[in-house]
Amino acid sequence: MPKNKRRWRVSRRGFLIGLGVTGAGLALGWRFGLPALHLGIAKGLDNASAPGRIKTEPQAWLEIQPDNTVMLHMPKVEMGQGIHTALAQIAAEELELSWEQIRVVSAPTTHILDSFGTTGSSTISSLFTPLREAAATMRDMLQSKAASLWSIEKSQAIAMNGEFFQQQSPSTQLSYAEIIKQNNSEWVIPKEKPVLKPISEYRLIGQDMPRVDLPSKLTGQAIYGYDVKVDGMLYGAVARPPSFNAKLKSAKAGQATDIAGVQVVIEEGFAGVVADTRTKARKAVELLELEWETGDVFQQADLEKLVTVNPNQGTVIQREGNVKKNLKENIITAEYRTPFAAHAHLEPQAALVDVQADKVIAIVATQMQNYVRNALADFLKRDKETIEVTAPFLGGGFGRKAGDDVAVEAARLSKAVGKPVHVGWTRKEEFQNGYVRPASHHVLKASLGSDGKIQALEHQQASGKVAFGFLPGFVEWMMGADFGAWRGATLHYNGIAHRQATAQVIDLPLRTGWWRGLGLLPNIFAIESFMDELAAASNQDPLQFRLNHLSDSGFGQRMKGVLQTAAEKAGWGNPVAGHALGIACCTDVKTTVAQVAEVSIENNQLRIHKITCAIDPGLVINPDGVKAQTQGAIVMGLSSTLKEALTIKDSQIASSNFDTYPLLTLKETPEIEVIILQSGEEPFGMGEPPIGPIAACVANAVFALTGQRLRELPLRLG
Amino acid sequence: MKLLINQQPFETSSDPQDMLLWVLRDELGLTGSKFGCGAGICGACTVHVDNVAVRSCITPIAAVEGKAITTIEGLSSLDTLHPVQQAFLDAQVPQCAWCMSGQMMTAAAFLQENPNPTPDDIETAMSNNYCRCGCYARIRIAVAQAAKAQVG
Repeated sequence: MPKNKRRWRVSRRGFLIGLGVTGAGLALGWRFGLPALHLGIAKGLDNASAPGRIKTEPQAWLEIQPDNTVMLHMPKVEMGQGIHTALAQIAAEELELSWEQIRVVSAPTTHILDSFGTTGSSTISSLFTPLREAAATMRDMLQSKAASLWSIEKSQAIAMNGEFFQQQSPSTQLSYAEIIKQNNSEWVIPKEKPVLKPISEYRLIGQDMPRVDLPSKLTGQAIYGYDVKVDGMLYGAVARPPSFNAKLKSAKAGQATDIAGVQVVIEEGFAGVVADTRTKARKAVELLELEWETGDVFQQADLEKLVTVNPNQGTVIQREGNVKKNLKENIITAEYRTPFAAHAHLEPQAALVDVQADKVIAIVATQMQNYVRNALADFLKRDKETIEVTAPFLGGGFGRKAGDDVAVEAARLSKAVGKPVHVGWTRKEEFQNGYVRPASHHVLKASLGSDGKIQALEHQQASGKVAFGFLPGFVEWMMGADFGAWRGATLHYNGIAHRQATAQVIDLPLRTGWWRGLGLLPNIFAIESFMDELAAASNQDPLQFRLNHLSDSGFGQRMKGVLQTAAEKAGWGNPVAGHALGIACCTDVKTTVAQVAEVSIENNQLRIHKITCAIDPGLVINPDGVKAQTQGAIVMGLSSTLKEALTIKDSQIASSNFDTYPLLTLKETPEIEVIILQSGEEPFGMGEPPIGPIAACVANAVFALTGQRLRELPLRLG
Repeated sequence: MKLLINQQPFETSSDPQDMLLWVLRDELGLTGSKFGCGAGICGACTVHVDNVAVRSCITPIAAVEGKAITTIEGLSSLDTLHPVQQAFLDAQVPQCAWCMSGQMMTAAAFLQENPNPTPDDIETAMSNNYCRCGCYARIRIAVAQAAKAQVG
């Protein structure tokens, strides 16, 4: 791990400037979410060193190396979503680098303020402007120095491919690294923000650039959380309860210590082992003698009953017009259910933690380094500043790598044995001892006018916790509704005057939490299936019915754009004989997306032939990356639509591996066509939105084909 | 016990019943072979044993003594990619890539066995490896491309 032993000083614009460890490089860094107060102090301090309370360590920085490569150090985690590549494109664009010059590195995060982690499809949308400004600022600083070294006007020094040349004499060139080497005056950050490039001048943004992380991943060289090693490390394993509400009553080493090299760690409510190989640790943990105190017995039916809308409860999350008054005549109603679901990321939880006397080094497969650091500080009763958390590549996240469990387990074991300890979960632990997507229940009601338009529309939903399990109790009390569970639950048809949505948080005896898109897939399944039911009830075309309830400008126009494009490309209104089409749409993190499913029934089995998807994610950084995310979200969503459900038996999740929880395979994957519509000058979120409409568009196609309305996931033909 | 891994002899003191995957990963540091399920279902741990694709998470080392074991690290030399790796790169297949060593080892063994596969053959051969990121559409393209490249 590279050590960041550089001295940083704060500039008035809140940037941090530092010279490379070798003395030859130049680095410019910034901090995520630097509090306004600190920014204010920094402003008054132009180039002075910071007062003690400002932590002058950047969280992200650009560094020009003596060989003229540029490192972008980033705490945002690459878990397959392609952000390292898109961030490299953005930085290289404004810093005028050639594509070969830039590298992206996972930054150690000693002083993280980035409390959002890598979640919510927010990396590119939140960093687009700060990263361009940092890169342009650095380019501007280099330009000033080049001009001064050459004694020419600044505007006469032109940056291209990591070098400056003189406009009057293009063969006179200086690379960025040479400028840094030759410079002998202080580096000054310009007082004004640099002018950013207009879209028309982009060379890299908007291009299909190849993923920067693939070469190491294709040769098996890339290091993930499960792969990390340090000298003298041991492997840990933790005893697990027989049910989700059992508590450890007593524990004894039993025969576990008969295995050479095994140490047993028994603490209040915890039993685990460490050994010199993972295989030994796994064998030993099975030999512990454990007594459990079991709690109430819950079965699947008990939990389904718990997750049921109570019309007298729930927090209003959307209120347009007056639904109560207008939901009176020709009322149509329907109920929908979605099950508990697993993340099934293929790399299980993993952490290597070394609890030393004065500091803690943790390398964790996490999307939330800050959350992990806080949990380690709380658990170990250490100062946060002494804990360094780094996230290597993640083998999938999907929201499950946002917990703290495995890191705390590794820290507990490391503290007990005084060595670095790696804990890597088994698949059974993944299924039974983590958190899952909560089950949900939805009641929809509409009043349909004689003109075929919806007079009033209401969505009441109940779901287990998503965000709330991770927040302090008082936040739950203040907010009332869980923003994770109701993601996608508001009604986006802005042509309907009276709309209301309520969300009800259900306290369940098992842990539920973040899953790709959070409530998006469950809520959109219910809302968009219901829209289809309303179209059918009034004998209207499902596409036209949707268009009739959207405005002609702004958001409505962007939603209509994706609906019409997806429909047109899918051959809407003209399906192949024996096939049928279904449509659905949603909006999420400002992106709009519509999907059309083409289905048939072969040998009594539902077959998905094609998914056509049109998506408008604002400005696109890497079109092929957008396509990959869309294809991936569709496959994961289809797997949920057709196959996946966790069930509960005797207070335990019944599945312990993929034999009883199979995922979608290549053979079951339809042709996927993705059409990107671009709008505006800034990128919106991309990783999650396309998982929204998939279940509904398939269910709607099944209805079009068979007349069967399937209101529960996974879809099962009657 | 003696193992032959990526053409290098290797002596291990592990229990003969220990699974090959953990000997590769934790003893030899060959972490390119991944753990996904431990039950031979997901395919992330796939390696070659005498040119046949094998799930190393359920293969005890006793079963592979004296046989030629190839992992993703030995599929190609570092400066020239195997045609399957090249095709996966060209089609920009992987996302998180945790399953990809297994996908590529499966594809490489399959194409050696069946150099002229039909699209249906590819569907069948590649449907026993999970990819949670959902890269299946691109895997199809890449395996077909690799077949073409190998036949030349």
